Order: sequence, then structure tokens, then C-alpha cells
Amino acid sequence: MWKDDAANSRTVSRRQALRVGGSSLVAGAVAPAALARGPKFEGDLAILNVALGLELQAIAAYDAGAGSKLLTPDQLKIAVSFQKDHKRHRDALIGFIRRFGGTPVEPKSAYNFGTITSATDIVKLAQGLEEGAEMAYLTNAGKLENREILNAAVPILEDEIRHNIVFRQLLGMDITTRLKY
Amino acid sequence: MNPEELTLNSLHHRSAQRWARRTWLRLAASASAGAAIYLLTGDTRQLRAQTTQGDLGILTAALYLEQEAVAAYQAGAESKLLSPAVLGVAVAFQSDHKYHRDGIIGVLKSLGVEPSGPERHYDFGHLKSQTDILRLARERENGAVLAYGTLASNILTKAVLGFGANVLVDEVRHRTILDAALGNPNF
Repeated sequence: MWKDDAANSRTVSRRQALRVGGSSLVAGAVAPAALARGPKFEGDLAILNVALGLELQAIAAYDAGAGSKLLTPDQLKIAVSFQKDHKRHRDALIGFIRRFGGTPVEPKSAYNFGTITSATDIVKLAQGLEEGAEMAYLTNAGKLENREILNAAVPILEDEIRHNIVFRQLLGMDITTRLKY
Repeated sequence: MNPEELTLNSLHHRSAQRWARRTWLRLAASASAGAAIYLLTGDTRQLRAQTTQGDLGILTAALYLEQEAVAAYQAGAESKLLSPAVLGVAVAFQSDHKYHRDGIIGVLKSLGVEPSGPERHYDFGHLKSQTDILRLARERENGAVLAYGTLASNILTKAVLGFGANVLVDEVRHRTILDAALGNPNF
């Protein structure tokens, strides 16, 4: 099993994602005036940076999984493919953050994923992260003010859902019940 | 023509038999106009007025897709071609689509619009195996994912967008599971 590094203030957690997302509602309330001056979309930038933190964490988790040598060739193939998706998301998010005048967060120097002793540990770690990312994107999608950013977020959300479901199937978890958010 | 195009085309052409197509285009245009006015002036009063119309068109099209999906799973379930395990999944997915359908109907009614009912008959072709049914379901789910994904940024009402995002989550989940069942790569 894995533990999120909650003690580290730079850790991007689901709770943090939701909190930052909530603050974007305040930014949204003043959007028309901000648009007249030239949009910065501060709320959107905050959401994008939290999302970027999640993507960086996922990339590191897949690195840890691949480096463990515990995965079967088929599992490794999935991990590599999904990590590639997250790198694409990361690059897209960095592009948007820079375009809108923000500063992208950097990856942490180290991530604490707990003790990994089996392939199942890795799949569980990945499933938890993917579901957390899915929830974060879903919760914050409706708070995005910029439609171009929202357009870009939709296929990212779709990837996270696909990843989560693939892992849920691998772990024998329920896949027929609507996920609760 | 690929399945996605088929599904989307079928949405546009069949909806035209009712009132949707011309109205859809008109509503889409007015939604864009509303967004433009909002961006230029920050006039939320006009935004609200236009938003409701634009989102109504999207909700009406979404309702059509959900009704079609409910009918497709019904056709699959009644075919007696599904194994018990696959039937269980089909029933669960149909239940999700009924939930979406009822949610959309609720929103439309709350906005004073009487929703259209399902078509009297859907032509799903000749279903002669479990694989045919899985493919049919996969095409419908994929069409829905594309439709919701494409329309998301045109939805201006936050509540409607939130509902649509939750529906999208279900459609992607369904498509992923159906792809796995059909041996299509998910990675």
C-alpha cells in the first residue's frame, strides 16, 4: 500500500485540489471586469497548477513502479503507456500556465509512495492516484472560466477515467457502480 | 465512415425528424452570441437568457443519445445472446443511462420544456451474437463520449456542465469496459 506524503506542504492532494478549486469560484465572480482588462484567469491558473502537481506525482509513481522490477511485461506496458499520457497532460498544462502568465510548479525532489513489495502494491498505488486525479478534474472542470482550458481538460479527464477503470478491472474492483464523488 | 461519424450523423439526421436540427443550429448560434455579449460587456442578464436557450439544445440532443442507449441495451438484453455476466453489466449500464435520461428530463422540465420521448423504433441492425451487441453498445458509448466531450465547452450553465461532466465519466467508464470485453486496446 502507499501513503500520500501529507506531511509535506508541497504535496498536492485531492483535498488541496478541491480547496483551490473552491477559491476559483471567487475569481469567477469578477471574471467580466478582469476580461475587460485582459484576462489572467487567476482561478484557472490555480486549478491548472494543482492539476500539474497531480500529473507530476503520477509520472513519478509510474517511474517508481517501472523501476521496482516487480511488474509483469504486460503490466509494465500499461504503466509506460499511462505514464506517456501523463507526460502529455503535464506538457499541455505547462503550456497553458505559461500562456496565461503563471509559473508552473516543479516536481518534488522526492515522493513518498510508501513500501512497495509487490506488483499489486503498484497497481493499487496507481489506481488510487488515477481515481484521485479523476475526482480532482471532475470537481474543478465546472469551475474553469476559460473555455479553451476547459476544452483541453476534457480529454485529460477522459484519460484519467480510462486509467482508473483499467486498474479497477486488474484489481477485481467493482466497475458497474457509478463512482461516488 | 467510422462508427463515431455514423453515430454523430445519426444524431443529427434523426433529430431533424422532430424539431431539433434547425432549432439546434439556431440555439447554438444564439448561445454563441450570448457568450460573445458576455465576453464583451460582462452582461450576465443577457448571458442567462441566451445560456438557457443554448443549453436547452444541448440537453435535448443529450436526451436523444441517452434514450437511444437505453433502447440499445434493451435490445441486447432481450436478444438472449448475452452471457449472464455480460447481461449483468448491460443491465447496470442501462441503469446508468436511465439515470442520465431522468436527470436531463428533470432539468428540461425545471426550465419549462416538455422533453421529447424516445423514438418508436430504433434500427440497430441484425444482432446475431454477443460480440455484435458489445460492438453496438461500444459505438453508442463512444458516440456519447464524443458528443459530451465536444459539447462540454459550449455549455454555459455551471449546473448543466457539472451534470454533463458526471455523465461523461460514466460514458468513458462504459466505453473502457466494453473495449476490454471486445479485446480493443485500452492503453
